[in-house]
Amino acid sequence: MRHLLFVGHQDIRRLLRSRVAYVWLFAMPLLFIYFMGFANRGPGDPANPRPEVLLDNQDPGFVGAVFLEELGAQGLRTRAPEQAGDAERGLRIPADFTRRVVAGEPASVGFFDIETQLSGQGALVELRLLRAVLAMNSHLVAAATRAGAGGALDETLLRQAQAVPATVVLDARFAGRKPMPTGFSFSLPGNIVMYVMMNLLVFGGASVAAERNRGVLRRLAALPITRRQLVGGKIYGLVLLGLVQVGVFLAAGRLLFGVPLGANLPAILTVLAVYSWVAASLGVFFASVIRADDKVVGVCILVSLLLAALGGCWWPLEIAPAPLKVIAHLLPSGWALEALHQLISFGSGFGAVIQPLGILTVFGLAAHLLAARCFRL
Amino acid sequence: MDLSGAGRALRCAAVSLLDVQRLCRAFGPLRAVEDVSFTVRPGEIYGLLGPNGAGKTTTLSMICGLLRPDAGEVRVDGHAFSSDPQRAKSVMGVVPQEIALYEELSGRENLEFWGRLAGLHRAEAGRRAAELLEALALTDRARDRLKTYSGGMKRRVNLGCALLHRPKLILLDEPTVGIDPQARANILEFVRGLTAAGSAVLYTTHYLEEAESLCHRIGIIDHGRLLAEGTLAELRERLGGDRVFVLEGDLRQADPPGWPGFRDRFRVIQRSDSQLVVAAVGSRDPGVCLQELLALPVKVENVTLKRPTLNDVFLQLTGRDLRE
Repeated sequence: MRHLLFVGHQDIRRLLRSRVAYVWLFAMPLLFIYFMGFANRGPGDPANPRPEVLLDNQDPGFVGAVFLEELGAQGLRTRAPEQAGDAERGLRIPADFTRRVVAGEPASVGFFDIETQLSGQGALVELRLLRAVLAMNSHLVAAATRAGAGGALDETLLRQAQAVPATVVLDARFAGRKPMPTGFSFSLPGNIVMYVMMNLLVFGGASVAAERNRGVLRRLAALPITRRQLVGGKIYGLVLLGLVQVGVFLAAGRLLFGVPLGANLPAILTVLAVYSWVAASLGVFFASVIRADDKVVGVCILVSLLLAALGGCWWPLEIAPAPLKVIAHLLPSGWALEALHQLISFGSGFGAVIQPLGILTVFGLAAHLLAARCFRL
Repeated sequence: MDLSGAGRALRCAAVSLLDVQRLCRAFGPLRAVEDVSFTVRPGEIYGLLGPNGAGKTTTLSMICGLLRPDAGEVRVDGHAFSSDPQRAKSVMGVVPQEIALYEELSGRENLEFWGRLAGLHRAEAGRRAAELLEALALTDRARDRLKTYSGGMKRRVNLGCALLHRPKLILLDEPTVGIDPQARANILEFVRGLTAAGSAVLYTTHYLEEAESLCHRIGIIDHGRLLAEGTLAELRERLGGDRVFVLEGDLRQADPPGWPGFRDRFRVIQRSDSQLVVAAVGSRDPGVCLQELLALPVKVENVTLKRPTLNDVFLQLTGRDLRE
C-alpha cells in the first residue's frame, strides 16, 4: 500500500509542475463554464421564470408607470420595441391610459402576438399579464376607496395602495417534474463531468504512454513493487488530480459564478471521486490498449468529447430525444451528470444519488480491472 | 588490463549472487535466448558481450523479472527468483539501457524517488542521494531539472538511481550507449568501484574495449546462445595463446587447408581476399612461427604479430566481426 500511495503522490506532484497543465486543467474549463453558462442562461430562476414581453408604452402618465412596475412585480421582463429580443408577446399602453383611468372611464391595454415567435412561453406571458391586470385593478379600487366619494385619484394614493402588502399571495412551484437546469447551474456540472473525464483520460493516457516510451514503467516493474501496486498507484495519482480539479471548479462555481452547491457537498465530492476513479482507470486502460503511443492523446480527447456529448454535458437531457436519454444512461458521464444535477441543481440529498453512485462504482470497478489486465510495460 | 588473476580468485568464492541456468525465451519463431547459463559472484563484474540483437537485454529482462522465461531458472542470492520475486528484486539494482528517468524532476529528486520505491525511508533516501550525487560528481547540479543535463550526466543519474538501496546484485544494460569517451570513462571507473563493497555486477555491452578493460569474466553471446565464457586470458587461450599473426597480401587464390603442415601448426581465425588472421597451435616460439608463415606457398606483403582481442575471439566463434 505504501508503494501505491507513493507512486500516486509523486505522479500528481509531477503533473502539477507543468505550467501547460494548469491551462488545460483549470483555465480552459473555467472559460467554458463561463461561456456555456452565459449561452444557456434562462430567464431567471428556472423554478420561477421571467418571460420577456415587448412593451410599447405611449402613456406619459403615472397610471402607466405604476402598471409597468406591476408587470415587473408579476414576473414579466419588459423590452423596448427596438430591442424585441426573445419576447413572444407584445403589450401596448395607449397614450390616454392615465387620463381615462383618472376620469373613471374604461381603459384597456393592447395585447398582441409577435408572429415569428410563438411557443409555450406565450401562455406564461398571458398568465403573468392577467395577474398584473388583476393586481392593478385591485390597487385602483383601493386607491379610489381611500380618495372617497368625489375625491380625485392621484399618484400618491395609487402608490400607497400599491405598497400595501397583499393579503393573499400566489406561491407558484413546479409540480410533478423538475425544472430544467439553465445558465451556470447547467454549465458547471456539465463541464465538471466533461473536463474531469477529458483531463484524466488525456493526462493519464499521455503520462503512462510517455513513461512507457522512456522505459520508466519497465524500470518501475524491476523494483520490488507489484504490478497491482503500480497500476493502482497510477490510477490513485490521477484520482487525486481529478479531485484537485473538482475542488477548483466547485470553488469557482460558488464564488465566481454564484452557483448554489446545495446542502450536500460531501455527496457531491463522493460522486466526483468515484467518477474520477472511472476516468482515471479509463485513461490508464487506453494508454495500454492503444499500441501507437502518439495516438493516445487524440483517442482520449475523442472519447471524452463523445462521452460528454452523449452524457448530456453539452445540452440538457430534458430536451434531448428519448434514444439519447437511453444512451446517456449507458455511460458514466450520464450517471455522473444526473447525480450532480440532483445534488447541485435540485438540492437533493444523498439518498437521491445512491443509484447513480452505485452504477458509477460498477463502472469504476470494471475500468480498473480492465486497466490492470491490459497494463503494458 | 589483465584481470585473469582476479578472475581466478573470484572463481573460488563459494556462493553466486546470480545463477542463471539454461534460460530460454522465444518470441514467436524467433529464439531470442537459448540455453544460456552463467553465474556472477560477489565482487565480480561479469560482462555479457554481443552485438545488437544477440539476446543480452532479453536475458537481463528475464533475470530482473520483466520477462518470464520459457524455460530455465534464475537464482538470486541463493533463492529461486520465481519463488519470491519481490525479495529477489529487492536485492537487485537495475540500470536500463534507456535513460528511464523523469526529465521534469531534478537529479536529486530522481534519486530520492527511485530510492523510496526501492524501500528506503525519506531521510535515508535523502542521505543516499547526497552520497551518490557526490560520488557521481553531480552535487553542483543536484537541484537542476534533468532536462537541462548533458547526455553523460543523465547517464550518471540513470546509474545512480539503481544504487540507492545498496543492491548486492547490479544489472547494467549497456549503460554507456551514446555518450562521449570522457563520460564513458567516468562511468566505467564508477562501476569498477561498485565491486569494492562486494556487489556483483552483470554488465551487458557491445563495446569490446569496455568488456576487456572492465570485466573479470566475459560471456560472449550471439543469436541468443552463450558461445563462450571465461576471463579475458581464458578466452584468448581459445585462440591458442596470447598472440595472433595477421598476414596481408593478395590471398584470393590462397588455400590454407591445402598448405603442407599448416593445419597442424596454425588455426585460421579469419580470412578475406587481402588478409589472413591465424593463431599458432601450442605454445611455440613466435620467431619460429613467423619463419613458418613466411615460408608458406603464398605471396605475403606484410605479417603482423599482435595480442588477440575479444574481437578475434568473437571472429573465431561466429565468423564475423563484432564491430560489423
